[in-house]
Amino acid sequence: MNPLYARRRRTSTVAMALCVAATAFGLAWLVLILATLFWNGLAGFSLDVFTQMTPPPNTSDGGLLNAIVGSLILTVLGIGVGAPIGLLAGTFMAEYGRYSKLTSLIRFINDILLSAPSIIIGLFVYGAIVVPMGGFSGLAGAIALAVIALPVVVRTTEDMLLLVPIQLREAAAALGMPRSHVIKRITWQAARTGLITGLLLAVARISGETAPLLFTALSNQFWSVDLLKTMANLPVTINNFINNPDPNWKRLAWSGALIITMAVLALNILARSLSAGRQSK
Amino acid sequence: MNDMSIMESTRAVQDDVKVAIKNLYFYYGGAKPSLKNINLSLSTNQVTAFIGPSGCGKSTLLRVLNRMYDLYPNQRAEGEVLLDGENILTPKQDLNLLRARIGMVFQKPTPFPMTIYENIAFGIRLYEKLPKSELNGRVEKALRDAALWNEVKDKLNASGLSLSGGQQQRLCIARTVAIKPEVILFDEPCSALDPISTAKVEELIDELSDKYTIAIVTHNMQQAARVSDMTAFMYLGELIEFDETTKMFTSPAQQRTQDYITGRFG
Amino acid sequence: MTDHTVRAFDRELELLGRKIAEMGGIAEKMLSESIEALIRLNVDEANAIIATDIRLDLLQREVEEEAVRIIARRQPVSVDLREIVGAMRISGDLERVGDLAKNIAKRTVALANDQRLPRAMIGLRHMGELAAMQLKDVLDAYGQRDVERADAVWRRDVEIDALEDSVFRDLLTFMMEDPRNISSCTHLLFCSKNVERAGDHATNIAETVHYIVTGETLPVDRPKSMFGNQ
Repeated sequence: MNPLYARRRRTSTVAMALCVAATAFGLAWLVLILATLFWNGLAGFSLDVFTQMTPPPNTSDGGLLNAIVGSLILTVLGIGVGAPIGLLAGTFMAEYGRYSKLTSLIRFINDILLSAPSIIIGLFVYGAIVVPMGGFSGLAGAIALAVIALPVVVRTTEDMLLLVPIQLREAAAALGMPRSHVIKRITWQAARTGLITGLLLAVARISGETAPLLFTALSNQFWSVDLLKTMANLPVTINNFINNPDPNWKRLAWSGALIITMAVLALNILARSLSAGRQSK
Repeated sequence: MNDMSIMESTRAVQDDVKVAIKNLYFYYGGAKPSLKNINLSLSTNQVTAFIGPSGCGKSTLLRVLNRMYDLYPNQRAEGEVLLDGENILTPKQDLNLLRARIGMVFQKPTPFPMTIYENIAFGIRLYEKLPKSELNGRVEKALRDAALWNEVKDKLNASGLSLSGGQQQRLCIARTVAIKPEVILFDEPCSALDPISTAKVEELIDELSDKYTIAIVTHNMQQAARVSDMTAFMYLGELIEFDETTKMFTSPAQQRTQDYITGRFG
Repeated sequence: MTDHTVRAFDRELELLGRKIAEMGGIAEKMLSESIEALIRLNVDEANAIIATDIRLDLLQREVEEEAVRIIARRQPVSVDLREIVGAMRISGDLERVGDLAKNIAKRTVALANDQRLPRAMIGLRHMGELAAMQLKDVLDAYGQRDVERADAVWRRDVEIDALEDSVFRDLLTFMMEDPRNISSCTHLLFCSKNVERAGDHATNIAETVHYIVTGETLPVDRPKSMFGNQ
C-alpha cells in the first residue's frame, strides 16, 4: 500500500477512536445521572406524589401536588407572557427589520440575555418587582421565567423565519398580498413546526429553572394559587428538601427531580420529532 | 447601441402599448446602474421575451415592472414605467393593487404551505368577497386555465407541496391568473422543469397570450423563439436590440445579438 | 466571424461549405465542358460529362442530409440558420446546373453526326462562356460571402437573356432556310435554353448569397431582357 495513504489511514483511525472515546465519556455521565435519578426517584415514587401536599418535616407521607401545580402555573404564565413578545420581536427582526441596524443590535442584546446566568435574572426581578411589591410572589416568579423564555423564543423565531425561502415571500407579495397577510398566512405557516419547536424548547428551559425562583416566587409549603403570594414550585422544593436530613423530604426531592427531568425530556423529544417531521417533508 | 433602431422598433409596436418603459435606470444600491436607459414597450396580448447572458439585467427589469424591488431597501429605479399610460414608479402607487394587475410567476415553483384549493382561493379572497359556490367556480376556472384541473380535481384538499414540479409551477400560474391580472411576468418559469412540463407551460403561455400581456425572461433561446412575439436582447444592463422574434432569430440587426443567439458569445 | 462556443458546430458548418464548394467546382466544369464538347461535337467528352453528374447528385444528397442533421442537433438561428438553408438551396441549384449540362452533353451525342452546324453556334458559345463566368463569379461571391459581387451577378443575367434571344432568331432563320436543319436546330434550341437556365440558377444562387449575408431577400422581379423570355 502507498505509504502516504497508509499513514493517512492510521491518522484517521486514531482520530476516530478519540472521537468515540469523547462521546462515550460524555454519554457515560448522562447515563450515570439518569440512572441515579431513576434509582432514587422511583424508590419513593407513588401516586401520593401527585395527590398530596408537601409535608411538614419528620413525617412519612405527603406529596408534591402544590409544587407541581405551582410549577405548571408559573411555566404557563412565563410562556404566556414571554412567548407572544418573543414571537413578535422575532417576526419583526426576520420580516420587517431584516436589513436594519436595529435588528443587529437587538440580536446582539438578545444573545447576551440568552446566555445570562439565570440567577442574575432572578436578582433583577427581585429588585424590580419583589422589593417594590413588598414580598415574594408567584407573579414575580412568572415574570422572571418570562424574561428567561423571551430570548429563547426571539432567537428561534428569527432563525426559523429566516429559513423560509425569500421566494415564498416574493410569490405572496407578487399576488398583491399586504405584508401583514404574508407573514400571518405564509411565512408563519411555512415555519410553523419550527416556531412550535422553539416554544417547546423555551418551556423545557424554564420549567427546570431554580435560581430565579428562589428570589421571586420562593416556595410555599401549602396549597396556594394566589399569584400575589409565594407559590410552591418543583425546583425550589427540590432544593429545599434535598438539603434536609429528613429522609421523607429527600425521597420527595428525588421524585420531583424525576418528574421535571421526564417532562423536559418529553418536551425535547416532542420538539425533535416535530422538526424531523418538517425536514422529511 | 444605435438609438435610431430602438426608436424604430419601439414605434413598430406602438399601436397597442400596455406597458411602456422609458429611460429606465435601476440601482441595487450604489452608484452603478444595473439597468441603463431602457426604452421599450410591451404590447397588449403579445408575448415579449427577454434574453441575454446571466447578469444582463433581464430579471431585474421584470422585477421593476411589479416593483418587487420595493421589498428590499436601497434598491431604486429611475425613469418611467407606464401601465396604461400611468407611471407606476411614483411613491403614491399602491403596490398591492399594482401587483394584482401585474402578476408574476417565478423560476422555482413556490406553492404556499396550504391545500391546492387554498393556494388559489387565497389570492381571490384578497380582492373579492365571494359566496362559496362562486369561489369554487373561480378556483376551477383558474385551474382549467392553467391546464391543471384534470390532474388535481380529485385532490383539491391535498397540500400544494404534494404536486410534481411541473404541476406546482402550473399551480402558481393558476394562482396568478385567478386574481385576473392584466399583465403576467414569467421569470424563467421552466428552468426547473423537465421537457414535457416545459412544453405544457409553453403551451399555456401561448393560450394565456389571448387574454393577457405577457413578459417572459428565459435562458433558453429556443424557448424565446418558440413562445414570444417580440424579443429583447439585453447585455450588461443595456437593451441591445428589441424586435419581432422572427426577425431577431433570422436576421438580427446587431452583431452582439447575433453572436449571442448563435452561440458565439465571449 | 468569431467561432461558436461549441466548436463541433463550426466544423459541421465548415464541412457543409466545403461540400458546396466541391459541387460548385464540378457544376462549373460540367457547364463549360459541355459547351466545349457541343462546339467541337466531341462525343467522348460529352459521355465523360454525363458520367460526372452522378457525383454531383450524390454530393447534393449529402449536403441535404448534413443540413437536416445540423438543424436537428444544433437548432441554428440567425446567420447559422440562413447559412444552412442557403446551403440547401445552393446545392439544389448546382445539382440542376449539372443536369442541364448533362442534357447538353446528351444532345451533343445526338448531334455528333450532323456536319451542318449553323453560325448560331458562335452565339451559343458566347452564351455558354457568359453563363460559366456567372456561375464562377457567384460561387466566388458565396465563398467570400460577398454581397456586392453576388448582386452584380444578379444584375448581369439580362445579358444572357439578350444573347439567347439572338441565338433563337439565328436558329429560326436557319431552320426556315432549309427544313432539313430543323432536327439539329431544335437540339441547339434546347441547348441554348439549358444555358439560359443555368444562368438563371446562377442568379438564384446570387439571391441566396444575398440572403445568407444580409438576411434580406432581393426583389422578386429581377431585371429582364427587353424581349422577354419565350
